[in-house]
Amino acid sequence: MSDRTKIFLLLLPAMFIIVVLFFGGLAIGLMRSFNYMPVIGLTEPDLSAYVSVFTDREFYLSFLLTFHIAFTSTLISSVLAIGAALLLRRSFVGRGIVNFLFQLNLTVPHLVGAIGMLYLFSQSGTFARLANEFGMIEKTSDFPALVFDPYAIGIILQYVWKEIPFIGVIVLANMQSIGEDYESVARSLGASKWQTFRFVLLPLIFPGVLSASVMVFAFTFGAYEIPAILGANFPAALPVLAYRKYTDVDLAARPEAMAMAIVIALLSAVMIYFYVRYSRRRIRG
Amino acid sequence: MTHVSIKELTKVYPGSRVPSLDRLSLEIPSGELTALLGPSGCGKTTTMKMIAGLLEPTSGDVTFDGRSVLRDKPEDRGVVMVFQNYLLFPYMSVADNVGFGLKMRKIDPAEIKRRVGEMLDLVKLPDLGDRKPSALSGGQQQRVALARALIVQPNVLLLDEPLSNLDAHLRFEMRDLIRSLQQEMGITTIFVTHDQEEAVVLADRVALILDGQMKQYDRADVFYKRPVDEATARFFGGHNFIPGTSDGETFDCALGRVALPEGAALGRGKLTFRPENVRIGASTNGENTLQATIVDVIYLGTQTRLKLRVGETEVEAVVNPNEIESYRAGDELTIHMPKSTLWVI
Amino acid sequence: MRSFRVLTGAVLITWLVLPLIPLAIWSFARGWFYPDLLPKTWTLRAWDYAMSDTAGVLDSLWLTIWISVAATVLSILVGVPAGRALGMYKFRGKEIVELMILAPTIVPGIAVVLGIHSVFISLGLNNTVSGVILVHLIPTLPYMVLVMSGIFANYDPAYEAQARSLGASPLKTFWYVTLPAIRPGIIVGGLFAFLVSWSQYILTLLIGGGRVETLPLLLFNFATAGRNDITGAIGMIYILPGILILLLTAKHLSGRSGAVGGFGQI
Repeated sequence: MSDRTKIFLLLLPAMFIIVVLFFGGLAIGLMRSFNYMPVIGLTEPDLSAYVSVFTDREFYLSFLLTFHIAFTSTLISSVLAIGAALLLRRSFVGRGIVNFLFQLNLTVPHLVGAIGMLYLFSQSGTFARLANEFGMIEKTSDFPALVFDPYAIGIILQYVWKEIPFIGVIVLANMQSIGEDYESVARSLGASKWQTFRFVLLPLIFPGVLSASVMVFAFTFGAYEIPAILGANFPAALPVLAYRKYTDVDLAARPEAMAMAIVIALLSAVMIYFYVRYSRRRIRG
Repeated sequence: MTHVSIKELTKVYPGSRVPSLDRLSLEIPSGELTALLGPSGCGKTTTMKMIAGLLEPTSGDVTFDGRSVLRDKPEDRGVVMVFQNYLLFPYMSVADNVGFGLKMRKIDPAEIKRRVGEMLDLVKLPDLGDRKPSALSGGQQQRVALARALIVQPNVLLLDEPLSNLDAHLRFEMRDLIRSLQQEMGITTIFVTHDQEEAVVLADRVALILDGQMKQYDRADVFYKRPVDEATARFFGGHNFIPGTSDGETFDCALGRVALPEGAALGRGKLTFRPENVRIGASTNGENTLQATIVDVIYLGTQTRLKLRVGETEVEAVVNPNEIESYRAGDELTIHMPKSTLWVI
Repeated sequence: MRSFRVLTGAVLITWLVLPLIPLAIWSFARGWFYPDLLPKTWTLRAWDYAMSDTAGVLDSLWLTIWISVAATVLSILVGVPAGRALGMYKFRGKEIVELMILAPTIVPGIAVVLGIHSVFISLGLNNTVSGVILVHLIPTLPYMVLVMSGIFANYDPAYEAQARSLGASPLKTFWYVTLPAIRPGIIVGGLFAFLVSWSQYILTLLIGGGRVETLPLLLFNFATAGRNDITGAIGMIYILPGILILLLTAKHLSGRSGAVGGFGQI
């Protein structure tokens, strides 16, 4: 058997599944978003779904909210994760516990974290009760709305909780494989601690941070269950809106749902571009 | 010009009981080129990092011109360390790498550019400023690392295994470059190496460190002629160690009674001499002349080693490789060892 | 400096365990009303309910385990050969194949599942366990392939040639030479695949159509219905496999593994 045949046969089952299920799903979604589905007699593709999506104010609010959730969560998580990784590089009392909790946290599904956040930050949650205990609030409605709120604070808090360990573990491994010698060189050439971080460590870990951040951004942009638990009803995050449209009693809304799914897919395509670009550079570096 | 002195320097890493470096003391005169020599894991790099301020000693002191520098931050010590694998910042151009130390001192960019150009000329890489380090050969990367260190005009330069990653033909070129720059700029320079040849070729003086302790600190040739003990002699390629007793003038051992040079130790000990100092034939005055049988002939290309049986013991000797045909196992041979080449440890 | 580190560490520890605490307390609470900091009555009622045959929590648990195990086994069977091709060979179009395998790890499930749903209708796969297992392969398979291609990149096929030259058949060579060498990768990749499948929500919701009620769906329903005590108990049961896997394989879960990206999906 030639190498080419061998490679072909080895890849065949996996590629079959990915092409049929993943790309097939995308393609069908794309076709339906254009109202094109010859099997059920729709042979005239049109843009009506996109027209109604892009003329709907709710879509724009939803898109902006989702972008805000993804961007803010990713930014805060990345910055704090770098800080946490810097901390975990040094030895201190409790480092073992933090390391363990980081890994534990990675295995806890987002949904559980979301429910935990709900119980912590809702207006009758743990923090509201603590505030009452210290006499800061009377009624539950005195406590600021941190879940189901228009700024998606609860959602962002949950993502920050979940993604600090995710990015942190990747950045820490990144730092460990880089070692401390580059920083030693910089120090001995006269760089201060801050200059060493700014001009040496940060550029070295940047590709790793960026590729982890891209994954986080794509996930937080497209996740359904977290905004479904913690988010406000209006505007809802884009995946929640798409799901609602799709399961609407009015079947005519389905192409609109597909159009929103395609918007999410396009955004993740941009993310894949960044991911590939920076993870390649990381391999070369 | 800085006189570096190290006093009782000790490092015990956390979680380890055995010190990685045990009370090392060393005086490095201003402007000299000194080698710290020892096998890997003997504490050489640890010593360098403590001099550079990159590692805190467990105890002991490091002084520059009599002033303790332990409290100084690494960037304020005027010490630059060049690592073995060069560690050029991969995301910066060669010129940015060389100019790094000046940029950290917030020097004017135009001035940095000028001095980087000068420095690259000095290390003979004038046209490579725009390249990325990954586009350079190992020898070129080494020069860039050296330029990056020298541009900040350090008082003390530390080099970690400066020649060991280079091909044989590049080693001598780099050796000459390092020596000439060091002499020209008069920088007190310390380098560490596990390779005795590298130490001998490059250094004014060599400190041999074994098991975290300093064995001997001398000019390079002394290690061959007057090693302090068997471990030191073996580290420098010594082979012949014959136990016996010395009375100061002669040594009584399995070879018989051999004459010793002046200053040899008294009492029980081991006679040592280098294989290359064993001469074939009798000496003119009959001194230290012995009868030997060839046990084995080993051809090594640039030299030929003979295993010889002398009385009850074996001796190794080096002869001219061109004469390999005149030696055969089982042959009888007369040899002698000039007494100046003998030493008792 | 050291005390700063300890302090930040303490803040971090608190933050990391914080959301799990009310969940755990709720599972033992009864009528825990505002503004009580702790429940007035402690009870095992929620646990009794969750463990009873009538509540359906245990059925849901077995169903979830079955789906995740099936998706994992399929991912291993399909992912190991693909990992071998990507790890050991260079070929034209390899970058495109890698990109196609990488894509499902970044593109969110909601973007593909709507299209799949409308095709599965005609195939009769909607609302079935098989349909759910199939659709779970989209997020699980890429991680299996990524882990295995990493393993095969560091694998020397000369061992196989040596075994063949010593008289082993291809099957025996695979069993005695290849398999032992790649077993750690299969275990790690398999555990990742299991956890990724275990945490799927939207794919199960749409393709299962509410008929295939895995633990996360049940958990979501109880949480939105305000049954905090039962939610707490199910939540504790739901995170257990992850903790067990962590305790068994802690050393494999460092960020060095290419598959750590899988955690982004959990």
